Amino acid sequence: MPKHEFSVDMTCEGCSNAVTRVLNKLGGVQFDIDLPNKKVCIDSEHSVETLLETLKKTGKATTYLGTK
Amino acid sequence: MDPVMGVNSITIAVEGMTCNSCVQTIEQQIGKQNGVHHIQVSLEKKTATIIYDSKLQNPGSLREAIDDMGFEASLPDLTP
Repeated sequence: MPKHEFSVDMTCEGCSNAVTRVLNKLGGVQFDIDLPNKKVCIDSEHSVETLLETLKKTGKATTYLGTK
Repeated sequence: MDPVMGVNSITIAVEGMTCNSCVQTIEQQIGKQNGVHHIQVSLEKKTATIIYDSKLQNPGSLREAIDDMGFEASLPDLTP
């Protein structure tokens, strides 16, 4: 499965928890959140668009960094 | 509040906010929603007070919108 890397503008625990919750809601994802570097690494069958849309729900600035 | 205009207000309990940036994102995101006139989020009280147009929004849809952002939102006990 491809690993996608996203940059999400998270500033605190609450932000990263919000990201965790929306991703869990989407389902079918495995992910790591790197809060200090503001990065989210997602392992999933979902398309990049779906993942980006989901991350954007949190209201944070989100950009796709590419596959890892 | 003027019931004729459909203006209503509700306070929703929001869990999971830890800093001011959480508060701001909620205010921005929910404030953008159709039918939301005003929103005030309190980090201390863990609540969001929203003034909305009851023709366009209802407590359930507002709760859903906050929940969608990744915060635990719950409605107070409503006795209509």
